[in-house]
Amino acid sequence: MNSVPDEDVMLQVRDGEVHMLGVLFDRYQAPLFNFYSKMTQDRTVSEDLVQEVFLRILRYRQTYRPGTTFRTWMYQIARNTRIDQVRKVRPESPLTSEPLAPTRARDDAERQQEAQLLQRALMQLPEDKREILVLSRFQELKYEEIARLLGCETGAVKVRVHRALQQLREVYLALENNPAAQAQDPRRASTDSLPPTGRVQ
Amino acid sequence: MNKMNCQQMEELLPDYLQGALPAAQVAEVEQHCEHCAGCAQDIVMWKKLALLPQETPSVESRQRFDAMMHAYSTTVAETAASVRAAANSAQQPTVAKPSWNFLEWLRTPFAAVAWSAALLLIGLYAGTHISNRTTPAPSDELASLHAEVTSMRQLVALSMLQQQSASERLQGVSWSNREDHLDPQVQSALMRTLRSDGSVDVRLAALDALSRHAAQPLVRKNVLDALQEQQSPLVQVAMIDQLTEWRDPGAAQRLRLLEQTPNLNPAVKQRAEWAIAKLQESTQ
Repeated sequence: MNSVPDEDVMLQVRDGEVHMLGVLFDRYQAPLFNFYSKMTQDRTVSEDLVQEVFLRILRYRQTYRPGTTFRTWMYQIARNTRIDQVRKVRPESPLTSEPLAPTRARDDAERQQEAQLLQRALMQLPEDKREILVLSRFQELKYEEIARLLGCETGAVKVRVHRALQQLREVYLALENNPAAQAQDPRRASTDSLPPTGRVQ
Repeated sequence: MNKMNCQQMEELLPDYLQGALPAAQVAEVEQHCEHCAGCAQDIVMWKKLALLPQETPSVESRQRFDAMMHAYSTTVAETAASVRAAANSAQQPTVAKPSWNFLEWLRTPFAAVAWSAALLLIGLYAGTHISNRTTPAPSDELASLHAEVTSMRQLVALSMLQQQSASERLQGVSWSNREDHLDPQVQSALMRTLRSDGSVDVRLAALDALSRHAAQPLVRKNVLDALQEQQSPLVQVAMIDQLTEWRDPGAAQRLRLLEQTPNLNPAVKQRAEWAIAKLQESTQ
């Protein structure tokens, strides 16, 4: 089963074999969970978002077209799901959440501290910059794929990745010098910094 | 080997980071970094990101997915059976499969609407350009074009929501999402879809589309009204979730009413209980 391409599995799902969605869930729940946990720093929210993505895939399966790379299509849905979620979070509502454990227990103290700073620096970037870094660094997406996902040129993606990395470096250095600086709660991120989306779902 | 400057690095660095550069250029990048602290630190930062751990989803995640799939399959089977029963009792002739022949497509209501809207737009555009003397200011022209496009989208959405095939109706719902403002006619078409569309997918998509306009009190009221008559447990659960999220003041009372319904699906009942507790929590 592992050898069947995602696109063929998705076409089966589209044509009524909905149980085949389980195959895609097994392949992508971990990458998607990692995408969301790096974007939100919250396990509960991330798990909910992953479920929502698969529900949307099921619901909109008939809009999947042959020849579309499944991964790109799925990340498109994942981005829209995230954007909808950010818009929904109300400032006055209490947040019940389960923050990520900052690091693994076996890491030594210095590495733990570095990782914590890194997480905070990442969360202080605007949503679109954090997203492009997470997609290119952790999701194993090539620049060409990200370009298709964001609807822009590959060259523009490279420039944006570089700029985001430079800003991350600045924020990280600032935090290193002043660790007490207030971090913005990512779940209450402003919708102003949301990346533009060519909404399909 | 020529020495590179930072501007040239800008082009190479992203590919270097993803390991997509040929060996010769890798050497150039590394040589540049020996003399340029800024570029070297960019690379260090990228590598440092490896410190962030790989997260593993919980075991319950797969269980939740299975539960969702189970609920979905059950509902779809029930809906299909009821549609078949309705079709048999009415003895309707079977609907011809949609064909993608272009000429046939042109005869569909969608194409008719699209064509007339396109002709209208061309006419409008030509009209405003030919009669130079009476041409309105460019901003007025743009505004009126925008208004025409808006209504064309609404027409397309309305027309597609009435199609035979579920996938076309789904696309109709997607068309309605392209507008920031929900036209009252489209809203009532979406409400009709949410109440009575034969496909669970299309009903869920309609709920999604309506939920983007939750700021309009009428939308919330309509969804609340449609809860009781909804037949599919999957759609009911989605509606309950939506009402909980909106924290609508009237929701708790309606949910209690729903709970009293005889033969209510246990999953729906459980969700309603959860929602009532959640709503009470937020009013305290």
